[in-house]
Amino acid sequence: MAYVLQQLLSASAKRYPEKSAVCARGKALTYGELEQQSNQLAQLLQARGLRKGDRVGLYFPKSVESLVAMFGVLKAGGVYVPLDPQAPAERIGYIVDNCQVKVLITTGDRLHALDPAMMRLVEFAILVSAAGNGSFERAMPWGAMAEYPSTAPDEESITTDLAYILYTSGSTGRPKGVMLTHQNALTFVQWCADTFKVTSEDNLSNHAPLHFDLSVFDVYNSVEAGATLHLVTEDMTLFPASLANFIRTRQISIWYSVPSALVLLLLHGNLRAEDLPRLRIVLFAGEVFAMKYLRQLAELLPQVELYNLYGPTETNVCTYHKVDRDRLQGMTTLPIGRACGNTEVFAVGENDEIVTAGSGKEGELYVRGPGVTPGYWADVEKTNKACLRNRFQKHFEEKMYRTGDIVTLSEDGEYCYVGRRDSMVKSRGYRIELGEIEAALLSHPGVREAAALAIPDEEVGARLRAVVALHNLGTLSTKELQQHCATRIPKYMIPEEIELRDSLPKTSTVKLDRVQLAAAQPQPA
Amino acid sequence: MTEQVENVKEQIREFVQEAAQRKGVTGVTDEQSLVESGVIDSLGIFRLVAFLEENFRVRIGDEEIVGENFESIVSIERFVMKKLSR
Repeated sequence: MAYVLQQLLSASAKRYPEKSAVCARGKALTYGELEQQSNQLAQLLQARGLRKGDRVGLYFPKSVESLVAMFGVLKAGGVYVPLDPQAPAERIGYIVDNCQVKVLITTGDRLHALDPAMMRLVEFAILVSAAGNGSFERAMPWGAMAEYPSTAPDEESITTDLAYILYTSGSTGRPKGVMLTHQNALTFVQWCADTFKVTSEDNLSNHAPLHFDLSVFDVYNSVEAGATLHLVTEDMTLFPASLANFIRTRQISIWYSVPSALVLLLLHGNLRAEDLPRLRIVLFAGEVFAMKYLRQLAELLPQVELYNLYGPTETNVCTYHKVDRDRLQGMTTLPIGRACGNTEVFAVGENDEIVTAGSGKEGELYVRGPGVTPGYWADVEKTNKACLRNRFQKHFEEKMYRTGDIVTLSEDGEYCYVGRRDSMVKSRGYRIELGEIEAALLSHPGVREAAALAIPDEEVGARLRAVVALHNLGTLSTKELQQHCATRIPKYMIPEEIELRDSLPKTSTVKLDRVQLAAAQPQPA
Repeated sequence: MTEQVENVKEQIREFVQEAAQRKGVTGVTDEQSLVESGVIDSLGIFRLVAFLEENFRVRIGDEEIVGENFESIVSIERFVMKKLSR
């Protein structure tokens, strides 16, 4: 039984050395090649001084090299930090500095765009593509690993060591790093393997970016089973017709994505069941799936099993609900379901009481078990706020994670999502803290106050707007503010519209009156 | 004919640059990859399609919404011109 993620690869490489492990952009690697190259990368990293637990940033567009990098870092005993290849350099620089990245695997142009001040602790870079790396001397080409032995270094990691850190939007303005151990990931991978019965005959797609935890299923369950992983590159995600074609020609049997991607495929991908005979499972997570679109999808693909998966990055997936087509017609919301194997969830309502099935009471969902994060990188305060001592555990000390999601529990034991405790929103499945958008706006010297708002939207979950009070009305335009935001936050977090005023409404306690602001916003038709 | 082509390109350029601005991207050139620069996202592509259909009175099928037709301002212009000349 694997206790660290890289053992999943080694096992499959032994069983299926010639089988295609991963393909993208016209390139493919067999399990044997993936094993060998990741061994070589691991040897290179260790020879160049990477020590156990050191962080390695992965900052390049999705490719077969992405998997070599992930496994190579793990085999070297390192912790990989996947970085959004489309995020602004300033945000990446912040993350690189925040978790003291020691090695950066990236492209020449990205390396060139990073602020040297944020790169002080980076010892060297490995370039997957060369162009323009003038500013950084200690950069070597991807091919340099070919000089190193293709045997794996001795395994020194244990299951409770960190495997990767995923950065998510932070309410106080800066992204926070969710630490995940091998055990966290394997708990999830094991449940998926048991539930979805992935085999070496399967073709899995990887739609989600590698810095999103949906990709953990795609990569590690594909490798675990000896299946083939087909990476969906960033450009393909924009064109539903191309994506539908991809699913058909690659004979994808298991698809996992946010609902927004499925809605796009449904509306514009011209999906037909007869074109997709191999498709057997569709998983979706990350946001609420509008019932009208889910019903259409369920009807369009009658042979496919549909699952709603729920869980924050801090726990990966913790509950699941298998869609029952007979019950879909009468449903207003799809349940998030019941706990995955080897995970426990419970909702704490008013008076600190655990919500019981069918009581109709609401509570905040908590998670306990080996799938739960040990916390946020170098942020004891945030960690202590979210990873609490489990006061409901009478027999020993353990932590429980508070999700911030309010739920109810049905008579038959399925949880249903009701809303958030705070101001985190989902748009196209992306987790967005309104506070982070506000911090970006406030960082402009011309801005005095800022409020970010999420307008509910059936297709994408939420659309983003902002209302900003300037020091001097007329000195800044919406355009300039959007440009300013683009230097700090990813494009999907930039408000589509920004209303400029000379002041924002306040409540009696002098806080921003968000209720009034929200009420004044034009609602969707 | 050249005047019409220039006019078409100009209108497309204007729309694309405005969409780019909303993403904080400036100075989009005619040949630049709109996908790589993040100017077009999965929502923007349909706004663009709606604009092209309404503005140039053409019908764009779902199967035509592919990378090669929308790669850059020049690609879009070429795609639209082909439809207009039918």
